[in-house]
Amino acid sequence: MLARLARRKITLIGAALMAVMLVLGTLGPVVAGNPTRMDVASRLAPPSAVHWFGTDDVGRDVFSRVIHGARLSLLVGSAVVALSLVVGVSCGLIAGYYRRLDNVVMRVMDGLMAFPAIILAIALMAALGPSVANVVLAIGVVYSPRVARIVRGSVLVIRETAYVEAARALGAADATLIGRHVLPNCLSPVIVQGSFVFAAAVLTEAALSFLGVGVPPFVPSWGNILSDGRLYLQQAPWLVLYPGAAIMMTILGLNLLGDGLRDLLDPKLAGDSVHESRGLQTQRAN
Amino acid sequence: MKVYIVRRLLALIPVALVVATVSFVLIHLAPGDPASVIAGPDASREDVTRIERQLGLDAPLPVQLGRWYVQLAQGNLGQSIFLRKPVTEAILDRVEPTLLLTLFAIVVASLIGVPAGVISARYHNSTTDQVFMALALVGISVPNFLAGLLLILCFSVWLGWFPVAGYSPLEYGWLKTLRSLVLPAFALGVVQSALIARIARSAMLDVLREQYIVAGRAKGLGERAVIYKHALKNAMIPTVTIIGISFAVLISGAVVIETVFNIPGLGRLIISAVLRRDYPVIQGVVLCIAGVYMLINLAVDLSYLAFDPRVRYQ
Repeated sequence: MLARLARRKITLIGAALMAVMLVLGTLGPVVAGNPTRMDVASRLAPPSAVHWFGTDDVGRDVFSRVIHGARLSLLVGSAVVALSLVVGVSCGLIAGYYRRLDNVVMRVMDGLMAFPAIILAIALMAALGPSVANVVLAIGVVYSPRVARIVRGSVLVIRETAYVEAARALGAADATLIGRHVLPNCLSPVIVQGSFVFAAAVLTEAALSFLGVGVPPFVPSWGNILSDGRLYLQQAPWLVLYPGAAIMMTILGLNLLGDGLRDLLDPKLAGDSVHESRGLQTQRAN
Repeated sequence: MKVYIVRRLLALIPVALVVATVSFVLIHLAPGDPASVIAGPDASREDVTRIERQLGLDAPLPVQLGRWYVQLAQGNLGQSIFLRKPVTEAILDRVEPTLLLTLFAIVVASLIGVPAGVISARYHNSTTDQVFMALALVGISVPNFLAGLLLILCFSVWLGWFPVAGYSPLEYGWLKTLRSLVLPAFALGVVQSALIARIARSAMLDVLREQYIVAGRAKGLGERAVIYKHALKNAMIPTVTIIGISFAVLISGAVVIETVFNIPGLGRLIISAVLRRDYPVIQGVVLCIAGVYMLINLAVDLSYLAFDPRVRYQ
């Protein structure tokens, strides 16, 4: 299976980009130095041997901040994926399997999806207050309904299949049916969706922090660095260029990887068809 | 068809109720008592009670929710705490830049995306196709606010062609307005055009496999006539749909881009409201944008009926 995944060169590029980000995000902070140490003597210094990516307006090392930002993005991305998969899969299973609850659960999900993602995230952050955990919670609330809808769709098909009926005829309890027969068979689209939720979470976190309503200003995050850099575009373009490149590479890597996963796990959606809506999913999510 | 339209409209009601409830709940999500959160840490006891009374927070929760629905049904979004005017007025004051920016961006996105997609499909698997699709992939990987910053860096800071930021209202002349919106509209539109190009290309490829295209070629029609007269028209259905959806996406994109370019629209309104904890304004803007978003999605769904007579809804 991995060999098939690797056969597409473009998927490999995506995997490589993500591997680089993973290494930088996990091991980088150990070597990158302190992201909050201010060296006021060298404010807005251009990239050099000492400060690879230059320094910001209070003399903090941009390289170190970008690396720590990578860790934050990976953390937020994986936490949001975990949260939205747990909530989304549970709600989707319940809605799809128990027809009586379907209407209630899905109307709530529809209501949450009636908000544009970033608007709902901003509103939730306004209520919750700035912190990393709240960013995860807010983005998780935004993306759970999108996972739930996909799971519900698969469950509706799977619960009518012969093997589920056979298991039911043999006297399997609901919990066994859901856990052993329904859930494993609706996981492929969920895994594919997971990679796009990851990308969307990284983007949304960056956007929220950029707008000043995400993680607190002292936490090094790509959005925060860009927000600082906005004010010094003329004097210090490196404040925008390096974190910008980091965001682009991460999202590109996730998109390529997601495309590869989709072609592998969800062949119905592959190919040059209108249903090639991978971009649609991420973009609508935003 | 009429039945379908009515059913779609009725289906909006529960969704609208959830939307109204979620925006009501926002104010109560904050840890602690909402009135003192709004008033801030150094507010006096009187200030807190004044806000409590002004927002009706002293009533029991179900009563508050009931009042909220009634108020919304009357089109009243309440009173801003900080701006000291009705929220509807505050929103109307800020609608112009956001609306113009969104419209401009949709024009940019369609003018780039549709031709790129059609050309890619016509020369399927050629170098042109691959270059366009690689660009589109990079395009959907760039967040719009980053695109905005890069455009400012390139066209304002280095080349000096456009103002770095700011907005010139329509009353000072539409040319000035247009000029002040060029960079923000491109920042939004270019990113969205990547998505439109991908959909237009897929739609076009689907259509080109149809029998009537083969028939057209068989009867000796030129490639030009096949592509532009027969294929393009049919490929437009999914493309128009995605343009409609893009409109909804771009409104929320505009909210972010306004911060990059310091444009005094709805985005700046909600962000400054968040920073000042002006909850009525936050609720109002959120409701207003969600409402527009719902209506656009409805219009997109209904447009299928107009575009494709084969579509029959039960």
